[in-house]
Amino acid sequence: MLVKICSIANIGLETVLVDVEVDVAASGFPGFTIVGLASQAVEEARERVKTAIVNSDFEFPNKKITVNLAPADLPKDGSAYDLPIAVGILIASNQIPPLSDLENSFFYGELSLDGTLRATRGILLLGLFAQKKANTSIFVPFPSAREASVISEIKVYAIKSLNQLADHLSGIKIINPLKHIEIEEEIEETEVEFDLMEVAGQEQAKRALIIAAAGGHNLLMYGPPGTGKTMLARAMPGILPPLTPNEALEVTRVYSISGLLSSGQSLLKRRPFRSPHHGVSAAGLIGGGSNPLPGEVSLAHLGVLFLDEMPEFPRGVLESLRQPMEDGVIEIVRAAGHVKYPASFTLIAAINPCPCGYLGHPKRECKCNERQIAKYRHRISGPILDRIDLFVSVSAIDVEKLSLNTPMEVGRISSKKAKELVLKARGIQAKRFSDLKIYTNSQMRNKEVKNFCLLTSEAENILKLAAEKYDFSARSYYRLIKTARTIADLESSEKIIPAHMAEALQYKQTI
Amino acid sequence: MLVCYSKIMNYKKIKNWQKLPELKKLKDLSSPPKELFFLGKWDPKIFKSSVAVVGSRKMTDYGRRVIEKIIPKLVFEKKTIVSGFMTGVDQAAHLNCVESGGKTIAVLGWGINYKLERADLKLAERIIESGGLIISEWENQKPTLWTFPYRNRIVAALSSEVIIIEAAIKSGSLITARFAEKLKRKVWAVPGPITSRTSMGTNSLIANQKAQMWIDIPPQPEITISGDPLLTLIQNEPLTTNEISRNLKLSVSQVGAQLSLLTLQGILIEREGKYYLNDAG
Repeated sequence: MLVKICSIANIGLETVLVDVEVDVAASGFPGFTIVGLASQAVEEARERVKTAIVNSDFEFPNKKITVNLAPADLPKDGSAYDLPIAVGILIASNQIPPLSDLENSFFYGELSLDGTLRATRGILLLGLFAQKKANTSIFVPFPSAREASVISEIKVYAIKSLNQLADHLSGIKIINPLKHIEIEEEIEETEVEFDLMEVAGQEQAKRALIIAAAGGHNLLMYGPPGTGKTMLARAMPGILPPLTPNEALEVTRVYSISGLLSSGQSLLKRRPFRSPHHGVSAAGLIGGGSNPLPGEVSLAHLGVLFLDEMPEFPRGVLESLRQPMEDGVIEIVRAAGHVKYPASFTLIAAINPCPCGYLGHPKRECKCNERQIAKYRHRISGPILDRIDLFVSVSAIDVEKLSLNTPMEVGRISSKKAKELVLKARGIQAKRFSDLKIYTNSQMRNKEVKNFCLLTSEAENILKLAAEKYDFSARSYYRLIKTARTIADLESSEKIIPAHMAEALQYKQTI
Repeated sequence: MLVCYSKIMNYKKIKNWQKLPELKKLKDLSSPPKELFFLGKWDPKIFKSSVAVVGSRKMTDYGRRVIEKIIPKLVFEKKTIVSGFMTGVDQAAHLNCVESGGKTIAVLGWGINYKLERADLKLAERIIESGGLIISEWENQKPTLWTFPYRNRIVAALSSEVIIIEAAIKSGSLITARFAEKLKRKVWAVPGPITSRTSMGTNSLIANQKAQMWIDIPPQPEITISGDPLLTLIQNEPLTTNEISRNLKLSVSQVGAQLSLLTLQGILIEREGKYYLNDAG
């Protein structure tokens, strides 16, 4: 008998329908073959399926079994076809009755040898795919099932084992589909890992952080070790606005395909904060592999990518950031195919002023000579620096000033307060860009800058003066206007007045 | 650039330098050079009144500020700046002299035919283009430990005064100072903070009365500080934006905007995050 089970294949974040056709022939030499460009992991499904069926007290038919994964020319990878193959065999050998709406049911998941189902990657993508068709049900492993529960209009069955599924299909013991969860309920306020209050001094760096968060600008902090660069960067998630439902779904897709959601987790609840070590490879950073998986830039989508000690990253790896920083997406091309992942992140980079780290330190002496310093700074190329909007110095502070009870800062700001400022500025931007496909000031192209950035004539004069004095490139010219726009937004000002422009100049490129 | 290089980078030998009146000062040496080679356009006037400015290879920001203060003044007095073409103070002195429109002589610590690194080459070209000279007593000598202190005697001999900016306790600049003393040239040392290792040599020269202390008694500042508390504050001590904001009890965004404007107007200079009054102003 021939049975057709619906399943899917994920190529990057694209999902295509895969028909798992299982034939248990009445005659022929007993055997078990899988065809349809199956990878090694799929080939091994034979052993897992056979053992799981036997260990679930079913009979493995001693007949000629052929499995075809159609379309046959699409390479298929992963262990998720275990479940559809097993179900196909059981139905084709009449051990469980055929489902009435087999063409509207998707099966996807990895089997373990005892017949239980294991966590499987990409369940959210399956759910989103199934949603496009009316009245669909998906049968997925229990540990990963909650990923799909945020999707409306589909029935999600969380399956613990092959036996449980068989009981359900035969009508002996019906499983209830998972309750639908509203995305809004799942999104949490980000717990503050580091409050801005905890960082002593560094008022200007904090201000830069708020501007960066408000306008989605990339930020580079430079200063000697131990001055709080890392702490400041880690305070960033605490002042970013929470994810919107659409954003949450978008980021979770990336995490779902990477298998980074923990068991029982439905959505990524907070904006991602990724801080890869400088030993990272280009494939690790931007994504790769023969079936390309998302890299750190995609995992930081809609969140923060923090590169500590940026010049220590291999130059080639850093250069690979150019495309995602410009376009917000990354296209990975491999022999097996070509995939696109979203990669719209805010970059926060931290660098030391020189290799030893103590250049310009008030007490400690720098041991580097000029050539070493120039070489160190040249490791970050112009095009990368050109894509960074804010540069801020995080200078060394005296230990006595660190003491917590000296009132030293003017208007010391807490993360909560900063977040309110950021939310307000983001609100203004959302209104401004409501007809466009961008969300923040940093994403403006030159055309939008001209349309939306109203400069008073005095502000324009300052800009011209500065352009002459500092010899700006066209790109840094626009970058400054964008920064000034965000500063104006933070003050709810429609026009960019001289004070905004002058403050923006504080964060101009200095290295 | 390359065309330019081949045109001006042809070195020449000075025949019988002993007979040239402008090089008379070199004869003061107990071991004068046997031969002399040079790059650039020979002009006897360049040797008329020269000052050596030497110092540490590991120049700090303080050293740079000192150079920016001293060299333009010397150039204004029509002095030629002589130095040793090493990284740090030497090269900064050459460069600042060229930028201020002065003439400078670089005495190499290696043979004149020795290939220069890119950055050095650029500086050498600028020195020559501005009418300066690059000289060496060797043709094909490689730079080694002894060549650098050895050429210092020429640096000292060529000048009538030697100014030392930043030198550690074991610095080649102190050797220059010793030569200068022997040759009866006037030796100046710029004092530095006693916490800085690169100022220990210069400070000890002053302390041991081997050099006169170079201090700059400023003319009354020309910028009228019209009661702006920010300028009054910076006048006393260079500060970062954060420090100014704390002192004036104003937010960083206000202070930052003010500082940007003052910098644009040329009243302030910003370097490595600190703001200074622009003395040249």
